[in-house]
Amino acid sequence: MSDILAKTEQIVKKGKALGADDVIAKTVFGRYRQTRFSNNQIDISIAWNDYATDVFLTWKNRVVATLIRNFQKVDESVKNLFNLAKVSKENPQYGGIAKGKFHYQKSKADRALENLENPAKYVFEAVEAARKEAGPDTNAGGILFTKFEDVYLVSSEGPMGEDSRSAIEFSMRAFSQKEASGHGVECSSTIKGFDATRAGRKAGEIAKQAKNPKAGMEGRYDVVFDPLFAGALLDMWGSMTSAYNVMVQLSIFVNKLGQKVASDIVTIRDTPAAYSMANRVFDDEGVPARENVLISKGVLKTYLHNTSTAKIFKTETTGNAGLVAPTHWNIEMDAGDMSRDEMFHGVKHGLYLTNTWYTRFQNYATGDFSTIPRDGIFLIENGEIKQSWKEIRLSDNALKMLSNVVGISKQRQHIHWWGVEGQPSLAPYILMKDVQITRPK
Amino acid sequence: MDKELVDFALNYAVGKKVEYAEVRAHSEDDEGLVMKNGVLDAYSKAVDSGFCVRILAEGGIGFASTNKWTKEEARTIVNIAYKYARMAKRRDKIVFAEEKSAQANWKVPEKKKTKDVSPQTRIETVMEVDKALTSLGINIAARMFGFGTSLTEKYFVNSEGSVISSSLPRVGAYGFITVVENGKPEQASKSFGYAGGWEALEEWNIAEQMIHEAKVLQRVIKEGKAVKPGKMDLVCGPEVTGIATHESCGHPMEADRILGREMSQAGKSFIYPNGPFWLGTKIGSPAVTIVDDPTVPNSYGYYKYDDEGIRAEPRYLYKNGVINEFLHNRETAAKMGTRSNGASRAVSYDREAIVRMANTFVQPGDFNEEEIFEDVKQGIYMRSFMEWNIDDVRFNQRYVGREAYCIEKGELTDPIARPVIETSTQIFWSAVDAVSKKVEYDSGSCGKGDPMQGIPVYMGGPLIRLREVYVK
Repeated sequence: MSDILAKTEQIVKKGKALGADDVIAKTVFGRYRQTRFSNNQIDISIAWNDYATDVFLTWKNRVVATLIRNFQKVDESVKNLFNLAKVSKENPQYGGIAKGKFHYQKSKADRALENLENPAKYVFEAVEAARKEAGPDTNAGGILFTKFEDVYLVSSEGPMGEDSRSAIEFSMRAFSQKEASGHGVECSSTIKGFDATRAGRKAGEIAKQAKNPKAGMEGRYDVVFDPLFAGALLDMWGSMTSAYNVMVQLSIFVNKLGQKVASDIVTIRDTPAAYSMANRVFDDEGVPARENVLISKGVLKTYLHNTSTAKIFKTETTGNAGLVAPTHWNIEMDAGDMSRDEMFHGVKHGLYLTNTWYTRFQNYATGDFSTIPRDGIFLIENGEIKQSWKEIRLSDNALKMLSNVVGISKQRQHIHWWGVEGQPSLAPYILMKDVQITRPK
Repeated sequence: MDKELVDFALNYAVGKKVEYAEVRAHSEDDEGLVMKNGVLDAYSKAVDSGFCVRILAEGGIGFASTNKWTKEEARTIVNIAYKYARMAKRRDKIVFAEEKSAQANWKVPEKKKTKDVSPQTRIETVMEVDKALTSLGINIAARMFGFGTSLTEKYFVNSEGSVISSSLPRVGAYGFITVVENGKPEQASKSFGYAGGWEALEEWNIAEQMIHEAKVLQRVIKEGKAVKPGKMDLVCGPEVTGIATHESCGHPMEADRILGREMSQAGKSFIYPNGPFWLGTKIGSPAVTIVDDPTVPNSYGYYKYDDEGIRAEPRYLYKNGVINEFLHNRETAAKMGTRSNGASRAVSYDREAIVRMANTFVQPGDFNEEEIFEDVKQGIYMRSFMEWNIDDVRFNQRYVGREAYCIEKGELTDPIARPVIETSTQIFWSAVDAVSKKVEYDSGSCGKGDPMQGIPVYMGGPLIRLREVYVK
C-alpha cells in the first residue's frame, strides 16, 4: 500500500473510531498545466499543484463533508466533521454507500502528461497550421491544457483503490476577419497520437470559409451539427440523465424511463473509457466506473445513479457517484452510417453549424432553451455551402431535437473545450430536421 | 495563513531576473448546505488555502500555485513561474501600467458574525423557506436550495512594495422551484448575495421572495397570455435591467476582451480598435449611464483593493449614452496607454487575476415609478427573466420574461407568458427614454476565464422604459 493510500485510510479509520457509520476519503494529488495564447502569442503559462482529501461522513443518516489540505491536521478535521454530523439533520433519502471489495482495471494514464516538455511548441505549430489554411493575417487564440492526477480512495464499506487520470486538451479559435472565425479542438487522455495542428487546421479552414458573413434569416432548417456543436448537445442531454437532476426537474427526462425520447437511430452511452479526458476506473464511492447505455434506439434506458439515488429509484448504482449528485463522465453517441459528405448532400436548404455557446433554459422540464451558434455558420443549398452567416440563435426544445435526429455520421471526435460547460464527449456529425433559428430585431 | 512564507516566496522571486513579481495568498473558509425537496442532502464545512506567484520576465508572464505551505514548494512554484514567463518569447513584450504601491489592511464588518450562527440555525433557516413554500397550496413539484457563508482572507505582496491584507465575509443563497399546474411546469430561480454577516438574512426575506415566485409561476400557467409580436414599449424591472447591463455593457467594456485575450473562450467585444464603436462613440440614449462600482457597501461584488493591489473605484462605462471607460487591469491599461481602474479579480489562489466586473448597474434617473408606466399606451412590463444569452461580442442578446404583464393605458393588466426580447445592444440602450429613481440589485456569479472563474457580482438598476422595441 502506498504511503498516501495509507494516510487516506487513516482518515477513514479515524472517522469510524469516532462512531461514524459511513466514511469515504478521496485524496487527489493533481498537477495541472495550461498555456493560454491570443493574437498568435502566449499570454500566460500556468501551473497549479493541488493536494487535497475530500472526506464524506455519515452518522445516523446525517451527511456531512469536508476538504482536508493538510495531513498534519487530520485528527482535528475528522473530529470537527463528526461533531458537525451530530448537529446536522437526518437525510431520510440517504441510502448508504457501496459495500464490498471491487477489482479495478489498471489505469492507462500517460505519465508524459505529468509535466509536458515545451508546451509552447504545440501552440506555435498549431497557430502556423491555422495560418496556412486561412492566410498569414489569421489571428488565433486558445489554450493547451494538461492534467495528471493521482487518486487514492478508501471507503469504510470496503472499496479501496488507486487510480491515475491524465488528459490533454488543445483548443483554438482562429479569426480570418473580425467576424469570421473557426474553432478546432484536440482532446485525449494520452500524448500518443495527439496532434494540435489538426485543431489548428480545422480552425483555419472554417475561418477561411466563414469570411464576409451575411446576417442570417429566421426560420426552420435542416441542420448539420459539427462534432464541436454536437459535443455541447451531448453534454446537455447527458447531464439531464443524472438522477439528481431528474429529482429536481433540471431534466427533460422526468418520468420518461422506458419511453421513446429520441429518434430510432439515436443511441447514447456514458463511458469513462481510457481514451477519454474523463477516464477513471472507479467512481466517488469506489464502484468500478463503467459504460451505461442511456438511450438505446431512441428509448430512455436508465438514469445515472449513486447508491442513494439508486435506492430511491429502486435500482442499482450505475457507478456514477458524485456523493450527493450522480454525474455523467463522457457521453458517446453511437456512430451512424453516413459519411460527412453524404450528410451534406442530403440537405437541400439548411445550415451547417460548427460551434455554439451560452446555452440557457427557459424551462429544463419542458426543454425550452436557446443557444448561440458561433464561429462558422453556413447556409447549405443543394448539398453545398453557399454562404457564411452571422447573428443567429438556435431557439428550440431539447427533447424535440432528440426526436428530430435524422442522420449520424460514421466519423466521431473526442470533444471538450471551455464552451462545453460539463463533461467531454465522443461526438459525430448530426443531421437534424426542423431546427428553429431566430435572430435579433 | 503563513505570511512569512509568502514574503519568502516574493523575496525568492525577486532574486531572479524578473521585471515584476507578486505573491497572493488566499484562504477560503466555507460552510454550506444543499437541500432538495425538503431533504437536507449534505452539510459541508472546509477551509481551502494556498498561494500563487505571478512573474513578469522577458515580457512574458508565468503563474504557479500550490496549497502546500512549505519553503520547498514555494521555491518550486517560483521556479516554474519564472520558467514559464521566459518560455512565452513574445514579439510584443507585456508591460504593466505604472501604479503607486499600496499598504493597506481592509475588512468588511459583520453586524452579526456568521461564525456565531450554528449549523442548526442555518439548516432551520432553509427548512423554513421550504415549509413556507409547501404550505402555500401550490403544486411545487421540485424545490432545490443552496445556502452558504464564506470568509475570504487574502495577503498580497509585490515587488513594488505593495502589502495588502483583507478579510471579506459573504453570505450567498440560491433557490430553484418548479410549479406544476394542469400538468404544465414552469420554473424560477433566484440568487441572493451579500458582503457582510448574518444580517443579510433579515434584508433578503428569502421565503417571501420565493413565495412570490411560486405564485407568479402558478398565475402565468393559469392566466398567462401570449404576446402579439410587434413593436411596442417595454418596461424592464431591475432584474432585467441588471442582466442587460451586465451582459451588454459590463462584458463588452472589459479591456482584455477588447484586446482579444479572451478570444477563444468568452469571446471578443463589439468594441475594438479602429472599429465602429470606441471611447466617445454613442451606444445608447442620453438617459443611460451605467456604472461598475466595487465600493457599493455590502454588495456581493464588494472589494476595496483588487488582486493587483489597485484601489477600487467606480467606473463609468456608458455615460449619458456614450462609451466612456473600459474595465482595466495593469496589463490592459499599459496596452491602451492609461492606468488601471482596479478591475483585476481572482476567485482563488490557483487562478490568475483577470479583468472582471464587480457591481454593474444603471444609474438612477428622475422618474417616479408611476410616471414610467403612465405614459405607456400599449406595452409589456418584464419584471424578471429566466432564459437569457448573448453572443460572444456582446451585441445580439435575448431575454425571456418569467414575470411579465401587459401594460394598457398606463395600467398593468394580464400576465404575459414568456415574452421575448431579442435585439442588439445598440437598439436596446438607444430605446431607453425614462429611468426611475430607485436602484435595486440582484446577485450572481459571473462566469469568465479558463479555467472558469465564477465571481460574485451585483447586477441592477431602476425601472427603465424602452420605446418601440420588437417583443415576441
